[in-house]
Amino acid sequence: MAVQWGVFGEFRYLVAVAVLFVGWLAGYLVGRANKRILTAANVPDLVEGTPFERTAQSLGTSTVAMVARLSSWFIYGVTILVALYVANLLDTRLFFTRITAFVPDLFVAILVFIVGFVLADKAELVVGERLRSVKLPEVGIIPKAVKYSIVYIASLLALGQLGITTDALLILLAVYVFALVFLGGIAFKDLLGSSAAGIYVLLSQPYSIGDEIQMGSRRGIVQEVDVFVTHIEDDGEEYIVPNHRMFREGVTRIRN
Amino acid sequence: MADLRDLLDEIVTDADVVFLFSPSGSYYEKFVDLEPEVTLVVVGTENAVGASTFVELPLAFEDVRERIRFGIEGAMKQDLVDDGDVIACATSVFSQNIDTVTRVQANESVQSGVYDLFANSRADPNVIRNVLEVAIELGKKGQKGKPVGALFVVGDAGKVMNKSRPLSYNPFEKSHVHVGDPIVNVMLKEFSRLDGAFVISDSGKIVSAYRYLEPSAEGVDIPKGLGARHMAAGAITRDTNATAIVLSESDGLVRAFKGGEIILELDPEVY
Repeated sequence: MAVQWGVFGEFRYLVAVAVLFVGWLAGYLVGRANKRILTAANVPDLVEGTPFERTAQSLGTSTVAMVARLSSWFIYGVTILVALYVANLLDTRLFFTRITAFVPDLFVAILVFIVGFVLADKAELVVGERLRSVKLPEVGIIPKAVKYSIVYIASLLALGQLGITTDALLILLAVYVFALVFLGGIAFKDLLGSSAAGIYVLLSQPYSIGDEIQMGSRRGIVQEVDVFVTHIEDDGEEYIVPNHRMFREGVTRIRN
Repeated sequence: MADLRDLLDEIVTDADVVFLFSPSGSYYEKFVDLEPEVTLVVVGTENAVGASTFVELPLAFEDVRERIRFGIEGAMKQDLVDDGDVIACATSVFSQNIDTVTRVQANESVQSGVYDLFANSRADPNVIRNVLEVAIELGKKGQKGKPVGALFVVGDAGKVMNKSRPLSYNPFEKSHVHVGDPIVNVMLKEFSRLDGAFVISDSGKIVSAYRYLEPSAEGVDIPKGLGARHMAAGAITRDTNATAIVLSESDGLVRAFKGGEIILELDPEVY
């Protein structure tokens, strides 16, 4: 080993100290720059109100500070390793290569986990806010489901980054997504069909408010057209016809 | 000082119901803490104090009589007040805070249909309120400083379209704008220089401008001196289930028609 170092072999402790100093400075600066960038990107506002942020606040820090510090720590860690290597205190090269491969992964994994958690909390808040007008107690399960889905995917990504076998979890995710898509498709079949037809009706207006039309057995004056349904009124009876009926059965416009 | 209070006593004794018009939180709390034996009704544009009995005002009526009348009508419709009940109304006239107490007896004849106009029209109450606001704003500023007139027919758009014809190309053809959208007020203001009526659907979609209304004007009785625009508004609301909101070009007042009759008359200048 010592042969490689040649001339400045004697100075290697000095070089190690210099590396430590430069690393410390770089880590500090990167941490501060990160904090600035995240603040400029409006991250503090975005994460406001999420449980993660509140926990961070109660610990006397914030999400932004934690992420910024994480990048600093990452650089400190790398610096210490490099310094140890330079100082020739760590002898096993094998250990070194493994560590250098592992540290970035660990860093990314922690970052993914934090981002996932914040995202999940935020999604829960946003979905909950949207559903506030729906006065149904059971609706509270939807924001929770969204939150834990995101946490699940984030932890899956983080574990995958660390190289831990996640095959079983992956299969579980696949089953979950399949169920969501499949059952959602069945549940929303008519709504999707209607909205597709509704978009056509709204864009090209084959009939519009005030026209007299016949759709299936329903005949009357169009009172209202929206994405999903058409309101047809006839002598005090208002029919609300889903738009996909228009494509299935066609529409007769009555002109006289 | 004691005799001054006696005077007020006369106003509030034997009141069955107390109306608080847009009370501040502390005023409301103070009132509830007194635990009076009378029914308490909060009236306002929004239920800021979270009262259980609440009548919503669609507009912050500047005229106290309109305000109280609307409150009574709303309360009667919600069965909070019965015919013949004596109501003590605490409202504000000059300041933001409650500074006036007045005594009214509720009876059917007080009803003018203003509450009906909002709550029981075909169109959404919010749509009617938005159109009224546009009309008021238009009345206040006019079109480039000059007074303009406008006629909005809200609700039952299908029938209205069948009882009218276009005067020119419809600028709202194949557009999907609704009253209350941010830029729509400007649009409506610009188009108000066109002749004819605006037709607005139940959900607030602007169906057409430039419409010449052709209802049968038979049996429409509106005060003499109002012009063709008001006559058309009265007639179309008699012929269909629509509500019409008219901004008069000559006297600058905003009037709402339903069933062929004037339901509401507002002066834009005081809002």
